[in-house]
Amino acid sequence: MSLELASELGNVVLQTGQSGGPALSPSAAAALGVGLAAFGAGYAERGIGAAAVGAMAENEDLFVRGLILTVLPETLVILALVAIFLV
Amino acid sequence: MSTPGTNAPSGSPGSSNPEYVTARVRARRGALFDDDEYSKLVRMSPAEIARYMEESEYEQEINDLGSRHSGVDLIEYALNRNLSRHFDALLGFAEGQLYDLIARYLRKFDAWNVKTVFRGVYTDADSEAIETDMIRAGEFDDALINRLLEAGTVEDVVTVLDGTMFADGLEAAFEDFQETDTLVPLENAVDRAFYEQLLGNLPSGEAIDLYREFLEAEIDFRNVRNALRLARSGADIDPGEYFIDGGRLFSASEMSTLVENTDELVSRIRESTYGEKLSEPLDELEAADSLIDFERALEGVLLRYSKQLGNVHPLSICPVVAYILMKEREVTNIRAIARGREAGLSETAIEQELVIL
Repeated sequence: MSLELASELGNVVLQTGQSGGPALSPSAAAALGVGLAAFGAGYAERGIGAAAVGAMAENEDLFVRGLILTVLPETLVILALVAIFLV
Repeated sequence: MSTPGTNAPSGSPGSSNPEYVTARVRARRGALFDDDEYSKLVRMSPAEIARYMEESEYEQEINDLGSRHSGVDLIEYALNRNLSRHFDALLGFAEGQLYDLIARYLRKFDAWNVKTVFRGVYTDADSEAIETDMIRAGEFDDALINRLLEAGTVEDVVTVLDGTMFADGLEAAFEDFQETDTLVPLENAVDRAFYEQLLGNLPSGEAIDLYREFLEAEIDFRNVRNALRLARSGADIDPGEYFIDGGRLFSASEMSTLVENTDELVSRIRESTYGEKLSEPLDELEAADSLIDFERALEGVLLRYSKQLGNVHPLSICPVVAYILMKEREVTNIRAIARGREAGLSETAIEQELVIL
């Protein structure tokens, strides 16, 4: 069973190799890039969001400032979206 | 808060949340009194200070206690209460490893409370008077504190503390106490238990390593202060008894010899890693021979050290400890102002008592 699978997998690899094209189409690569950028933005927002909520808990006037700082990393995703239009 | 005094490696589930905690801590640090406010306070009478506090951070406490107390007592109790409210809140919103580290540090107040009870019981103060001096910021819950307050003799206090982190050291110290009838062995046992758990199996990491260095500095400063005080008093006490383990500056046996020779002690500090930070206060100490000023300078250096550490590692325990120290200092400062005004000290004399960064 596993042997069969292995040989089939080998065929697939060979086939893509034979066709000579890249493993990912340009638009797929761009989509992946945007996804990774969004992941990075989310990670950055995690820390900023926690700090912003902490600051707001102490002083409610900081709501607007905290909100702005929290969504700043979102620019990463917007810039990454450029890649979609370029391909 | 869980079982008091246990030193569990993880008391709170989940990962720590330094971003949230430090944001809140920084906001609270911003609310502390600054230079200008201190210089205003120094010129006020106790009643005016209380009124001023009512319009600041301390509003809640002053309002709660205002009907029952007045004058300097009101200020003092409000300060203590405010301190415990803020520090309890710290424990409330910290999680994971950060919670553990903060809790360890705040057990300082457990040690303080235990020592207060010892002194109170020893001098036959009534439990109400002892209670007002309690700072309920540590890990002991109200039930345990109430049992401590009900204890009538030193032995009772030791029994009540059975099962806390102080138990082991106190048992041996109690025998000493029975022989000598002085509180020194008991108080030292309490201090030692606190510092042991503070440094014991700290987690690793860059920020924690720096934090450990800071704690070692705190212990060293304490030892230096004790050594100088002993040297000054000229009392015939074994300095090793006061020695707290864990510092880097000297060992117990070295301290015993250094106490006998103050000049050597001073030059020893100068050559150590603290030499640069302490050179100015040491010069003053040698020139003016004033221990009080030197102790205050030590505290100032420690405060600045912790603050600087908090800037180096903003997302760790460091800024939290810096805040704890600064808040404590503020409470001591206001108390000094209020007491000083009540006693009729001059403004300059009071200002000398303050440690302001």
